Amino acid sequence: MAATAEITFRTKGLTKVYRTGAQDVHALRGVDFQATQGEFIVILGPSGSGKSTFLNIVGGLDTATAGEAWFQDHQLTALGEKGLTQYRRDHVGFVFQFYNLVPSLTARENVALVTEIARRPMQPDEALALVGLSDRRDHFPAQLSGGEQQRVAIARAIAKNPEVLLCDEPTGALDSATGIRVLEALTQVNQAIGATTLVITHNAAIREIADRVVRFADGRIVEETVNATRKAPAEVSW
Amino acid sequence: MVISPLRRKTLRDLRRLWAQVIAIALVLAAGVATLILGTGAYASLDETRARYYETYRFADVFADMTRAPGALIADIRAIDGVLAAEARIVKLGLLDMPGMVEPGTMLFVSLPDGGDGGLNRLHLRQGRLPDPQSLREVVVSEGFAAAHRLRPGTAFAVVMNGQRRDLLVTGIALSPEFIYALGPGEMMPDPRRFGIAWLPGASLAAAYDLEGAFSNVVLKLVPGASADRVIETLDRLTAPYGGVGATPRADQTSHAFLDAELKQLSAMVRVLPPIFLLVAAMLVNMTLSRLITLEREQIGLLKAVGYSARAVAQHYVEFVLAIAALGIAIGFVAGAWLGAGMAQLYAKFFSFPFLVFMRDPQTYAIATIITTAAAVGGALLAVRRVLALPPAVAMSPPAPTDYRSRLAGVWRRLSLPQTAVMTARHLLRWPLRTLSGILGVAMSVAILVASLWSFGSIDHMIDVTFFRGERQDAMVVFAGPEPARALYSARQLPGVLAAEPFRAVSARLSHRNLSRKLSIMGKPATPRLSRVLSPDLAPMAMPEAGLILSEALADALAVRPGDRVTVDFLEGNRRSLSLPVSGVSLGYVGLGAAMEISALNRAMGEGALISGVNLMLDDGAEADFYAAATTTPKTGFVAVMSLTLQRFKETLAENITIMITVYVGLASIIAVGVVYNFARIALSEQGRELASLRVLGFTRAEVSGILFSELAAVVLLAQPLGWLIGYGIALGMVTAFSSDLYRVPFVIGREVYATASLAVIAAALASALAIRGRINGLDLIEVLKTRE
Repeated sequence: MAATAEITFRTKGLTKVYRTGAQDVHALRGVDFQATQGEFIVILGPSGSGKSTFLNIVGGLDTATAGEAWFQDHQLTALGEKGLTQYRRDHVGFVFQFYNLVPSLTARENVALVTEIARRPMQPDEALALVGLSDRRDHFPAQLSGGEQQRVAIARAIAKNPEVLLCDEPTGALDSATGIRVLEALTQVNQAIGATTLVITHNAAIREIADRVVRFADGRIVEETVNATRKAPAEVSW
Repeated sequence: MVISPLRRKTLRDLRRLWAQVIAIALVLAAGVATLILGTGAYASLDETRARYYETYRFADVFADMTRAPGALIADIRAIDGVLAAEARIVKLGLLDMPGMVEPGTMLFVSLPDGGDGGLNRLHLRQGRLPDPQSLREVVVSEGFAAAHRLRPGTAFAVVMNGQRRDLLVTGIALSPEFIYALGPGEMMPDPRRFGIAWLPGASLAAAYDLEGAFSNVVLKLVPGASADRVIETLDRLTAPYGGVGATPRADQTSHAFLDAELKQLSAMVRVLPPIFLLVAAMLVNMTLSRLITLEREQIGLLKAVGYSARAVAQHYVEFVLAIAALGIAIGFVAGAWLGAGMAQLYAKFFSFPFLVFMRDPQTYAIATIITTAAAVGGALLAVRRVLALPPAVAMSPPAPTDYRSRLAGVWRRLSLPQTAVMTARHLLRWPLRTLSGILGVAMSVAILVASLWSFGSIDHMIDVTFFRGERQDAMVVFAGPEPARALYSARQLPGVLAAEPFRAVSARLSHRNLSRKLSIMGKPATPRLSRVLSPDLAPMAMPEAGLILSEALADALAVRPGDRVTVDFLEGNRRSLSLPVSGVSLGYVGLGAAMEISALNRAMGEGALISGVNLMLDDGAEADFYAAATTTPKTGFVAVMSLTLQRFKETLAENITIMITVYVGLASIIAVGVVYNFARIALSEQGRELASLRVLGFTRAEVSGILFSELAAVVLLAQPLGWLIGYGIALGMVTAFSSDLYRVPFVIGREVYATASLAVIAAALASALAIRGRINGLDLIEVLKTRE
């Protein structure tokens, strides 16, 4: 990625302290981070390293205790509940470990749920086509496999044409072969819509498909690696 | 003491779900409370009345006559089946209270010579009985004394037989004969304008020229004796002396009104508690089903480690029993408290000397058993399904909910917003629960419709009776029949604009084996003041020969226009003849029969006589009229329509506020209980989806909207159903309450449905708002990390 590309995310001294009873838990201890438009970043780290907290704050789901987080020219750390909701609604696509589809809606309807409230959405069918699920669009989540459900979740996340795609353990609940199909879908849409993509994972094998790999430990970024060449998801295995 | 782990879980579940627990317990409590309140108040009043009657020897048969010789009482005592008979003088007089402009009536009742030994004994509240030799001393009824601040020692004036007399109060008393003391021509008791005075027979005989004679007899019958047979003989004995036919206790005014009241109370016991218990059972079932679904894996685990299905079932039943116990406890306290309050309210309205509070342990036991059964029944239905699962299946998470349905294409064509599709599919996925919710809310609407309609119906009754039918301002009833020219002297009274004569004759009307005793009213051919209305509210002209019967009387005698009825006049020459039924009229109070006045006089074989006059008065001249009318010797009593109506409205107004408060409270408990539990369950099932939507950028309002639209659908669908059920209950009540005494017009205006719906919707809204905090507090991060 060229350094001159537009910066999507920027954090400075991002700190999060959870006060739980007697002891304070420092989830983030001053994280400085930057991501440019269209970048595909994999975030690695053990449990409790702060990677999810980080993703939640830049995704507008949580607030920081100190420091700053910026999305383009919006200072996320200055936004209130309403502002954060609007930010998520307009700019962010989320993919979760457990898909979090609405069971009472079909694949297409789950996507339409988001396009109905988005500012510049694509057609639900277009989003489903991007993840290769056109023929399953009238199925309910209960009729879909885990991988298919996760691809519906990706279609739902990208259907609003988000600037940011945030994925928290998107393959965590899937077997290897299915996980690879999901990663393929993610890289495809990353290229197709140019959304800055942050993928949290426990799975180190995934790092090779990223532009850049960020490793969290103990609330800090301890390592950043830029991949000179990205592998296709099909080339990795675990 | 060691608490078993499962029991500890029960306690924690109760604490965790406290709001739902309380909502269900309150519905149960309402069922228990209405059961205890109803049966308790009923039993208290019934027992109070029974003891009052027994202790004070309330008579079984009552008969009036013009003037019977004293010796006749021996013949009456000799009638087979008569245990005791007491000859009395009972006469109406007029009040002459200083500062009281409007006319009032006093009923004079003679005391037995031996003092206090006879029937219908007095309960002296204050003072003493009059000296048998005194011509001045009287005991007065308590309500009247209170309304006029009379105490032993106070004097007041009356007009007896056209003559003004000063009386001295020696005592204040109650009598089982006048528990419901209704003045002549009145619709509600009014102690200010109607009082009872008991005085020595000699004093009364002197005033009414009845020395050595009597005008009223009361009988106590041998237990098991037939009142009808005794009355037959009694009527024969009294007929030569102007007897107008004896009345059994069942038809005695005070007793009959009290009976009607008790009948309404027992109807309440039959209708309300089952509604609450049904709704409570549905709520328990709904809530427990959800709890068990959430704990499915725990149940599997418990069974896997060796707990028997029975032990697991017992655990959930214990949870429900705890809720039932709470509901029963609240219900006991509320029921006892409200029951005492209600009995006191009745005691105030009806004049009882004491109140026997019935705290029948059996009522409480029945309430406990029924309530527990309803709750446990609801619980067992919920537990059964999960207990049937093998542990291994139960321990694995349930298959995702399948929303496939043949309706899928329908939704697509409707092109609804996806959130609406979510709502609709969720409601349709659990049709039984949705129906339970709808039925529950419908019940609260029904309770309101079934209670609020009566007010509109009373308004209708007032409108018909006072503004279309009885349009006169006042009615003067003479002490006895007067020649027709009395009409002209009535016209001369100050303030009278128009006068219309009437004749009232006691008669027995019979058709086949059915008969009723009542007054036939003779009216002018086309009455302008006191009119008879047809069922479609058109004024009816009086037929030349033949009777117009009120609907209630026509029903009671099973006759239709064209049929003939036998009329036995109980006055004058006591003729018997057969008359055709010319028409049927509308009538809400009592039994009515009307005919043209000269036709009535002809049928009686008497000359042109009138019993009284209906009058239209000049506004502003009422006071002069009252003063003149009450001092005219002929006047028996004066009824003033505006005062009757005013009293009627006042009495109702007192009760209406209490009634509405109680019923709206009860309906709200159901509405809140159902809506709150429904919402909590929906939130528990969809919380994860809603949190996901929040993550996707849905605002708090949008997410709340999804849940609220589901509640709204249930609440709105419940409205027409509630109207329908309420209509059914109301119709049942009308049928049950209809008696010879009164029948209630069945009128449910749109405002009844609207009020019922608004009250329930307000309660639903309040409970929905109580859920809002929970929706706003959804944990957006947690939902991403956990599988359901």
